[in-house]
Amino acid sequence: MIEFKNVSFSYNVDGNANGGGCLKNIDLKINRGETVVLAGESGCGKTTITRLINGLIPYYYEGMLTGDIIIDGKNSKNMSLYEISKNTGSVFQNPRSQFFNVDTDSELAFSCENQGMPVEEIKRRIKETVELFGVQRLMHRSIFDMSGGEKQIMACAAVSVADPDIIVLDEPSSNLDMKATAELKKCIRIWKSQKKTIIIAEHRLRYLSDIADRVLYIRDGRIENSFTFDELREKSFNELKTLGLRPVTDDQFIKPESIVSENRKKFTLRDFSFAYKRSAPALKIEECSVPFGEITAVIGNNGAGKSTFSRCLCGLVKKCKGVAEYDDNKLKRRDRLKKSFMVMQDVNNQLFTESVQDEVAISCDDEDNERVTEILRSLDLEELSDRHPASLSGGQKQRCAIACAIASNKEIMIFDEPTSGLDLRHMFEVADNIRYVKSDDRCILVISHDLELILSCCTYVVRLEKGEVIEHYPLDSEGIGRLVDFFEEPFRTSSSDVL
Amino acid sequence: MADDNILGAVNDKKGLVLDPRTKLLLLFMISIFSWSSIGGSARVVILPVITLIPVVLLFLSRKWKGAFISAFLFLGVNIISYTDLNKFSGGIYYIILIMVGIFGRLMPCIIMAYYLVYTTTVSEFVAAMEKMHVPDKITIPFSVIFRFFPTVQEQMHFIKDAMDMRGIKIGGKHSSKYIEYRLIPLMICSVKTGDELSAASLTRCLGGPVKRTNVCKIGFGLPDYIIIFILIASVAASVIFKLV
Repeated sequence: MIEFKNVSFSYNVDGNANGGGCLKNIDLKINRGETVVLAGESGCGKTTITRLINGLIPYYYEGMLTGDIIIDGKNSKNMSLYEISKNTGSVFQNPRSQFFNVDTDSELAFSCENQGMPVEEIKRRIKETVELFGVQRLMHRSIFDMSGGEKQIMACAAVSVADPDIIVLDEPSSNLDMKATAELKKCIRIWKSQKKTIIIAEHRLRYLSDIADRVLYIRDGRIENSFTFDELREKSFNELKTLGLRPVTDDQFIKPESIVSENRKKFTLRDFSFAYKRSAPALKIEECSVPFGEITAVIGNNGAGKSTFSRCLCGLVKKCKGVAEYDDNKLKRRDRLKKSFMVMQDVNNQLFTESVQDEVAISCDDEDNERVTEILRSLDLEELSDRHPASLSGGQKQRCAIACAIASNKEIMIFDEPTSGLDLRHMFEVADNIRYVKSDDRCILVISHDLELILSCCTYVVRLEKGEVIEHYPLDSEGIGRLVDFFEEPFRTSSSDVL
Repeated sequence: MADDNILGAVNDKKGLVLDPRTKLLLLFMISIFSWSSIGGSARVVILPVITLIPVVLLFLSRKWKGAFISAFLFLGVNIISYTDLNKFSGGIYYIILIMVGIFGRLMPCIIMAYYLVYTTTVSEFVAAMEKMHVPDKITIPFSVIFRFFPTVQEQMHFIKDAMDMRGIKIGGKHSSKYIEYRLIPLMICSVKTGDELSAASLTRCLGGPVKRTNVCKIGFGLPDYIIIFILIASVAASVIFKLV
């Protein structure tokens, strides 16, 4: 059904097959009704393959393409993007930028409207899809008041209304929590039962392990290997690590040696409560202690109040009157604003200047050049000091933000979803960055949906639900069991739902 | 993001619904009346009447926050422009005069544009443009504007947080570069979002050779006729007063 014949592609027009995302001599056959996962490190060419299938290459992203892609017996070179799109649905990584409309109703109809289908037919299809996907509660809503997970489910439903035979997903789960990922899995299950051909480029393999037929392992633009999930389950963690693949089962991940110390210092939060106008309190914490000088993971599903919690802790929310205490220090809102730093999920939002050097310099109180250079050197950024922050890679941007935090002597550091959408190697890089800032006089909190990240750098866990701290525990062997259990739970309930 | 954010338009069938064409006509007429001197001596009546329309419409469509702010601005500007300012001394008099002159002309257009963007769904707008036989090449880029404002607003929120944390504020350190720091991440992000958005809409068959259909029904109702009548009456009144 989909066939690649000796396909090579590079984003540079000069045909030089170097750089990220290029493909070299790909031969590939995907049968009708198959579910195939494309795995491999960032920049290996996974996304490029999805773009070749949905026609965005060569019709939207330009580059040098050789070889043939045959879809349903037709060469894609002889088809327009419109013709390809009629039979191919796409779900993208970023839930925020794939809706053309602002309201969900219009978005569901959008693809069919563009194909000129009769209105009655479109309405019938929307009704069917809404029932099938169980998204009644998401209808008549603005996409701006929906969570990332809800948007992603809506994107899946919108694809389904047009009823294409091929569905391409490009890292669909990278911004989602466990619960939303379980919902996404349900959508994929529905498509599979409809005998659609599904191609998923993805880092997180765990949730796909009982749906996908095979995993194509891509490295440096070539399909290096093809695995079944049974084969991947057999692999040891070190084998996966050399492949750069995320673990498939729970026991595959080996927690690096980190001692859960009996820490004497405590970091105590008192009276952290906050409510948005006319709604139930988003956060109500009377008292909560976490170890100071350790790395604490903050977990919970979307809407549990994690981001409100971190914004209150940073002193960004004026109405939150809470106090943070450690040693003899009492930090009120304004003190916390000075003492805390959040590395945001989208680091682009916090880099303002023209060079890495300037970026760090404006964070120092005295803009002392020697100190700036020292910080840059310690974070491996010295060679990049003249580069524009926007030109850096994701991990480098994050290090740049961390450098700013160090430069401004911040004592509370919060990492907000630092590894959404990263492969194993880059995830370890982030874990190293986080471990690097750990020191006895810093309190570090990591908000994350990434089990592997938490296991590899955190020593304490706080779980929020509906704005309250439900449980907190040290990440010793018993704690690890509880943590893994929390991450597995949504999948257990979802697999019992689906027929 | 739930704290008193203005969200994009959703067709929730609440409040008064106008045809997008009426809204566009109203925006056009309000701009003409407030920026030109049409109307002659009848302006004193016509201008407040038609600039009051969007304020009333905001109330009727239950956009409370926007409605109260615009009502306040409307009253403010009108009260000042009808009071006798001669008792103020020279300098202050001219400053107030210039402020009211510029703001008074700009304000009705802004309120109307706000009403248009926040009560029209993308789909309604596209349907209206199709009924007026405007080609897709013009409609599609314009329809993206409806998404643009809420997206930017969301983004601004994050950037403001980041600046607060770094201690960059007006009156603080680096205040001369405040605007630059605020705009650069916004621009980088807008370009990226725009790029991804175009790619996504192309895979949803946008720009195909077939004629689009449209699920949402638009059409003129009684409120539309009332507004069009008021507009025609204002034009007629200005013509008559010009001739007399």
